[in-house]
Amino acid sequence: MIKLDVNKVYKNFGGLQALAGVTFKVRGPELIGLIGPNGAGKTTLTNIMDGVYKPSSGTVYLGGHRIDTLPPYQVARAGLGRTFQVTRAFRRMTVMENLLVPAMALHPTAGRKALERRAWEVLEFLTFEHLANDYGRSLSGGQQKLLELGRLLMLDPDVIILDEPFAGVHPKLMEKIYEYIITVNAQGKAFIIISHDMDTIFTLSKRLLVLNFGELIADGDPKEVRHDPLVVEAYLGEEE
Amino acid sequence: MNRKWLSLGLVAASVLALIAFGVVLEPYPYWMHIAIVAFFYAILASSWSLLAGYAGQFSFGHMAFMAIGAYTAGIFGKFIRLSTAPTGICSEIPLGNTWLVFLNAIPERGTVTGQNCLELGKAHMPVGTLIYQLPAMPGIVLGIIMGGIFGFLIGLLVLRLRRTYLALFTIGFSEILRTALNAEIDITQGPNGLELAPLFPKGVHLFGYYFSSVNKVPPYYVMLALFLVSMAVMYWLAASRFGLFIRSIREDEEAAAALGVHIVRYKVLVFVVTSMIAAAAGAVQAHYITVITPNILLIMQMSLVIAMAVIGGLESLIGAAIGAIIIEFALELLRTSFTIGPIVVEMTTWRLVFFGLLLMLTLRFWNNGLIHPIIQRLTRVGWAEEAVSRRVAMAEEME
Amino acid sequence: MENASYFLLALLWILCWGTIGAVVTPRIYGRKDLDVSQAGLAGAATGAAGGPFFLIPLWYLTPELDWKWVVIPAVVIVVIFAGAFAAADPDNLCVTRGGFVATQLVNGLVIGIIYGLMALGLTLIFSILGVVSFAHGEFYMIGGMAVYYLTTIWFPGLHPLVGVLGAALLTFVIGIIFERLFLRAMNTGQVERPGEYAILVTFGLAFFLQYLTLALVGANPKKVARFVEYPAINLPSTENPALLKVTVSSIQLFDFISISTSRFTAAIIAVVLLGALMWFLYRTWIGKALRAVSQDRQAAAVAGINPNTMNTLAFGLGTMLAGLSGASLVQVFSWVPWVGIPASARSFVIIVLGGMGSLPGAFIGGLFVGIVEAIGAGCVPDPQRAASYIPAYGMLILTLVLLLKPTGLFGREL
Repeated sequence: MIKLDVNKVYKNFGGLQALAGVTFKVRGPELIGLIGPNGAGKTTLTNIMDGVYKPSSGTVYLGGHRIDTLPPYQVARAGLGRTFQVTRAFRRMTVMENLLVPAMALHPTAGRKALERRAWEVLEFLTFEHLANDYGRSLSGGQQKLLELGRLLMLDPDVIILDEPFAGVHPKLMEKIYEYIITVNAQGKAFIIISHDMDTIFTLSKRLLVLNFGELIADGDPKEVRHDPLVVEAYLGEEE
Repeated sequence: MNRKWLSLGLVAASVLALIAFGVVLEPYPYWMHIAIVAFFYAILASSWSLLAGYAGQFSFGHMAFMAIGAYTAGIFGKFIRLSTAPTGICSEIPLGNTWLVFLNAIPERGTVTGQNCLELGKAHMPVGTLIYQLPAMPGIVLGIIMGGIFGFLIGLLVLRLRRTYLALFTIGFSEILRTALNAEIDITQGPNGLELAPLFPKGVHLFGYYFSSVNKVPPYYVMLALFLVSMAVMYWLAASRFGLFIRSIREDEEAAAALGVHIVRYKVLVFVVTSMIAAAAGAVQAHYITVITPNILLIMQMSLVIAMAVIGGLESLIGAAIGAIIIEFALELLRTSFTIGPIVVEMTTWRLVFFGLLLMLTLRFWNNGLIHPIIQRLTRVGWAEEAVSRRVAMAEEME
Repeated sequence: MENASYFLLALLWILCWGTIGAVVTPRIYGRKDLDVSQAGLAGAATGAAGGPFFLIPLWYLTPELDWKWVVIPAVVIVVIFAGAFAAADPDNLCVTRGGFVATQLVNGLVIGIIYGLMALGLTLIFSILGVVSFAHGEFYMIGGMAVYYLTTIWFPGLHPLVGVLGAALLTFVIGIIFERLFLRAMNTGQVERPGEYAILVTFGLAFFLQYLTLALVGANPKKVARFVEYPAINLPSTENPALLKVTVSSIQLFDFISISTSRFTAAIIAVVLLGALMWFLYRTWIGKALRAVSQDRQAAAVAGINPNTMNTLAFGLGTMLAGLSGASLVQVFSWVPWVGIPASARSFVIIVLGGMGSLPGAFIGGLFVGIVEAIGAGCVPDPQRAASYIPAYGMLILTLVLLLKPTGLFGREL
């Protein structure tokens, strides 16, 4: 059973308070949307869960292990994977090599053959078999996003955080990403999805977290959250 | 599979050819010398391409690590002796019947030159005492270790620095080292140069032949062996997870960390490995040319190595090595002059202008260098496929 | 040096507490959720200045850190340093003769103005193109060579000012040609790794220009006559020139500050050029456009400024400033094709110290480095070793700044 506990997380940058006591729990393979106006602290929260930033106070536990004190690479190995707002495929490495990086980092002693076999499964899942020997840079933007998702599968994390997975993606590939999330979620992985694409996030997620000025102002069923007065207020002026 | 065998065959043939050259070139010491220097630069250029091309750490301090190896070997040779009797004055460690003697640095300024403790101690030592200089090997090994230690320290210090800042920092390190080597005359002899014993001071007996200490054949094979060993080590590393990880660090540090790659470890490790290889090349080269000056880490020496690596192919170890060998030979062949009508063109001075221009043009128009694409074409590793699938990808995007 | 141990002890003390301050202070500030951006540098400075006596109150009270926390400790460090030096070597000229120190300081300031001018060029390039030109020193060298050839070889008797203008034009033209041919490609996506490409290609340019000059003019040192011959002035009178004494080779102020006329001329040229540059950057449309691009490329482009043109212009201007520095210093030093290497290195030190892309930082950094070099060269005993270490002082500053505060004194955040 997946257990992610984010507990009273505060983060200050100098005088600026980016997060003010964010608390939530993930139990099991949930599909969570994380929304909020610009500057609400979504990316800061991601960076804290990932270990890029250390919280000013508060704790993050994953499966009973404290992860907020760990560096990013250990957090990744502990079972939390993420993507970035901007696509970050390794451009001058082949698709296969892109996939092997997390697998080799996770299994320091495993043979290359076994990991490659696993990579072929992932390629098949992404319908990317024909691209295995292509360089990251020769993929389209959307394909690079899919490749990032494939890398996460190779890392085999319990919790996956996707930062704007639909931004600037061709509609056809968007469908593919959508399908990926549904399928992988069904396989038992928890998702936290940050997106500005309201329509998608409301239909996709089963639970919605709303951040505003570093505080979690709503946490619940998307249909209810949508009409929460606090949320409406936060978004006034954001949405036309 | 066929391609793999083809590549293996090519490698084996080249290695055999290089070994055979040692025999063929034997009567031409000049060309032997060029070949040895070429291997020396090939080691430096390829290890720099591992550091810069694979790991993305554009360090200008590579020659500094080379110099650390060279000077460690030199200082080791200058200050350490074996003696069959204790001096009583020097610091010394008894090893059974022999003593390991550490000489003291004596001021070599002005006209007064003092005597070191061994010279002074000789007065009290029994007649027939034998004093040896240690062979080159332990000094070289010590040089490699020092290179690794400095590589480790520099690697730790530059963890946070990127690109331009790293370049500036490493230039700074290199210049500080050069200045110190120039200034600490008591230890390094400063600009006059530190003298070293030849690789084999007493010559070598091999296969019934005798090669004197100035013969080029033994150093040729030593440098060739070092070249082949370091290439093998680097290829093995590049093909292993180490190579995969350092390339992912080059591409995107944060993304690599988010995928579980231990950035600090691999960044420091690549500095350690490449520094050790550079130091090894430096130590062997120092014993071969038998005198080293701080000018070996002039920034223009570094730019020559960079030019070799870039023209050869920054992301190809063998490309960089071949680039270095070709350029070294070309530089020697161009020590000529010719006339166009009344004008005498001194190629000796113009050849470096030409290579500077070639370096810039290669950077601008041939991202992969000049040699690397040729090798790729010869072995045809996955370049046609890429072009095909790129078209497929673009077609999909068009739909 | 008689009691070197005093000095070494002081140095060790400063280094030790400086390091402790640099390492521990950010952690303490971080733990208290305070701004850590200044903590490393301020901690290092405070620790170096006052050891535990300053550090412990700092850690306990954790006041808000601003520039005062760097400047005041820096002054204290200088005082301690000088005190330890005086105690260690009481017979040194720098201790016994105030006039010698004053002369060194003034000379350092004068040469520092020119260093500042050269570094301004480099920082200008960085602020617009985001590139550190590793060939900056070569433009300095070319500037000097151009003056030599114009005024001494090709047109003897040509007014030096024309020579300087010629040098400016030449370095400007080489700069824009190089920018158009090689650096423009970075913005059009024609090169794969723009950051690394810029480093390597300017490095290649340095290599090329240096050997090209060597091939064209040879390795013999060139010497240019003084630009200006000052009239002999004696104040208040010829018999007693207590206030001012100007001779052909030197200017003497108050009987104890002495500076060579050629350096003085160079400094005057540099000051005029600085004024002209400031006027250009802050008063003309093109100058304002340049600054706009350095602050926000996109916004400037939207406002109708062509960033590519500005890149070319900025690069040309930057190389021209290097050329002008060389042109004004060619009468002071003898000139060889590799004279640009230490000049390059010095400019790197200055812009890193002042903060990459900061114009005032470059100028102040230039003055600072000028003074440090002059004091270092004049005061360090054991002249031979001291002279050998001169290039290292700057590089030591560079490495320290990069480790402690990579943004420099006035730099923007990375």
